[in-house]
Amino acid sequence: MSYEELTHTADVKIRACAATQDALFSEACQALMQVMYGGDRQGGTRRVIDISASDRESLLCDFLSEVLYVSEVDGLVFRYADVCLDGMHLHAVLDGEPFDQARHNMGTEVKGISYSGMSITESTKGYMLDILFDV
Amino acid sequence: MYSGGEEMLDDVIRAGADEWEIPVGYVPGMRVPGRFFLSDALAAILEPGAVQQLANVATLPGIVRYSLGMPDIHWGYGFPIGGVAAFSLEEGVVSPGGVGFDINCGVRLFTTPLRREDIKKARDFIESLFHAVPTGVGAKSSLKVSPAALMAMMEKGAGWAVNAGYGVERDLARCEESGAMKQADIRAVSAKARARGIPQGGTLGSGNHFLELQVVSEIYDQTAAAAFGLLLGQICCMIHCGSRGLGHQVCTDHLKILESATKKYHVTLPDRQLACAPIQSPEGTAYFGAMAAAANYAWANRQLIMHAARREFERMFGIEYESMPLVYDVTHNVAKIEEHTVDRQKVRLCVHRKGATRSYGPGTPGLPGDLAAIGQPVIIPGSMGTSSYILKGTATAMERTFGSTCHGSGRVMSRSQAKKKLTGKEVADHLLSQGIIVRAPNEAAIADEAPEVYKPSSEVVQVVHDAGLSTLVARLSPIGVIKG
Repeated sequence: MSYEELTHTADVKIRACAATQDALFSEACQALMQVMYGGDRQGGTRRVIDISASDRESLLCDFLSEVLYVSEVDGLVFRYADVCLDGMHLHAVLDGEPFDQARHNMGTEVKGISYSGMSITESTKGYMLDILFDV
Repeated sequence: MYSGGEEMLDDVIRAGADEWEIPVGYVPGMRVPGRFFLSDALAAILEPGAVQQLANVATLPGIVRYSLGMPDIHWGYGFPIGGVAAFSLEEGVVSPGGVGFDINCGVRLFTTPLRREDIKKARDFIESLFHAVPTGVGAKSSLKVSPAALMAMMEKGAGWAVNAGYGVERDLARCEESGAMKQADIRAVSAKARARGIPQGGTLGSGNHFLELQVVSEIYDQTAAAAFGLLLGQICCMIHCGSRGLGHQVCTDHLKILESATKKYHVTLPDRQLACAPIQSPEGTAYFGAMAAAANYAWANRQLIMHAARREFERMFGIEYESMPLVYDVTHNVAKIEEHTVDRQKVRLCVHRKGATRSYGPGTPGLPGDLAAIGQPVIIPGSMGTSSYILKGTATAMERTFGSTCHGSGRVMSRSQAKKKLTGKEVADHLLSQGIIVRAPNEAAIADEAPEVYKPSSEVVQVVHDAGLSTLVARLSPIGVIKG
C-alpha cells in the first residue's frame, strides 16, 4: 500500500496502489488528508460513512467528497479509514482527531474531487488509482 | 515541451500573430473550432492536456462560434483554466466543469490615500492584516453568521454585507452584477453546502488565495487610470478569494445531479467532469440557481474581507473609511447570461468563464455610468512577488471573446516540483531581499506559490494587450503578501 504525488501544474494529482479495492479507497482517503493537513494525524474520534453509487469511480468520488465535508464541518482530521466495499456500496469507519491549528496547518485546502484524469486499473499486482484533487 | 511557436502541437494552426486554431476533428465530436491566444514564447510552455481540454469543450451542445482559450491557458479539469465558452440558451448546456469548484473565485482592488513612504512599519501592518483576516486551512470566521444571514448572503451578495454595515453603497456599483446575481435560488443549495458556509464568511482560504498590499508603480493609460481612481505611488490592497466550502459543495452536489442528466438528455461527453444539462432543463436551472447563490456568497465574502482590511488601515493610519474606494471586483470562475452580438444579431448567451475575466468594452450595458466611456476595469493579479496589472475592457474583446480576457499568469510548475526545488524560507528570504514581506500560516504554502512556479504575468498581459482583449492601464508592485 502506498501513494505518491504526480506532476500536475495546477492541481494535486495522486497515484495510489494497493492489493485490494478496499485498501485502495483507504489510501486515497489518507492521501487527501495528507494534502490538506500534513503527516501529523492522530486517532481517537470516529465517524462512519455509508454511501452507494452507480459505478466505482462515482463511489470513490462521493466517498472522498463526503470525507471532505465531514472533515470541514466537524473540524476533524483523519488518520485512517477502514473501508469495506460491497458491490457499489461503501461502508467506512474513519479514525481521527479534532483539527489543531498548530499541528494541522501544513497543507492546503482541497476544493473538490475531479473526475478528469481519474482512473482505477487492475493488474496481477493489485489496484492502481490516479486521481486529481482541485486545490 | 515545445521550444517555440513553430513547434506548436501537430494539427494546431496559426490564425494570427498571437492566435491559434484547433480545427474541428482534433477530437471526435467537435461542433466548432477551438481558438486560443498565445505568444510564441508562451507557446513553448503550452501543455498538450490543456489543448485537449479546450477541444473537448467544443463538443458540448449549443456552443457558439469557438471554444476559447486565454493566454494563461493551462491544464485543469473539465474546461482548461483560461477557458471561455458561450452557449445558446435554446440548444446549449450549462456545466459545472466550465465554472469549477471555487464558484466566483475573483479579485478586488481598493485604493488608499497613502503613499509608499507612509508605510513605515510594513511588517507590523502585514501582521495586523494577517490577524484581521482568518487565513489558511481550517480557519474559522470570527463573525457569527446566522442561518437567516446566510440566506441573505446567498440572495443579496455584497449588498447583504453593505446593508449589515460592512461597506458603503458605492462599493456595489464597483462589482460585476452589482455584487449579486439575480438568478440565485437558495432552494437549490443543499443543507451540506449551507453548513459549510456558516463558519467561513470573511475567510480567505488557502492555495493561491491572497491579500496583498501594493503600490501603483507605473501608469500606461492616464485617462483610464484617472477614471479608475489610480495614482502613481499610491498604496492599494488586492484581495483574491472565492465562495469557500459552500461553493465547493454546490459544485460537488450538482456535478452528481448533472452526471445523471447528461445520460438523460443523451449528451455524449469526452470527460465526465464536463457533465452538463440543457440550460433550461430542471437540472440545468437548479445548478445555475445554486451557482448564482454561491457566487453571491463569494461577493459577500470579499466584501467582508475588504471591510476587515479597511478597518486595519483606519486603525493603523488614522485614515477615513470612505477614502478607500473600491476600484472594481471581477469574478473569474462563473457562468452568466449575457447579451452579445453574433453574426450581427444581438443574442443572449450563457457565457462560461473558467479562469478568465470579463472584459466589457466602452458602452457595454452593466458598467457604472462614470466608466461607460472607458470600459470595465480588469484586474489581473500577478503571482506572489510579481507585478499585478490593471487593464481596461475593449470592443475587441466584445467582438472576439464574448467580452473576456485572461485572469492571471498560469502555473508552469506543479506544487510537488516547487516543494522539491524550493523551501518556503528560501522563497520568503528572496522576496524580502526585494522588499516584499510574505506572511502565511505555514512555509509550505509559500513554496507552493513561489514566483517561479508561474508564467511571468507581464508576458501574459502583453499578449492580451497586443491582441486587444484588454489594454494596459497600470502596474502594481507588491509590498506585502498574506498567503492563504
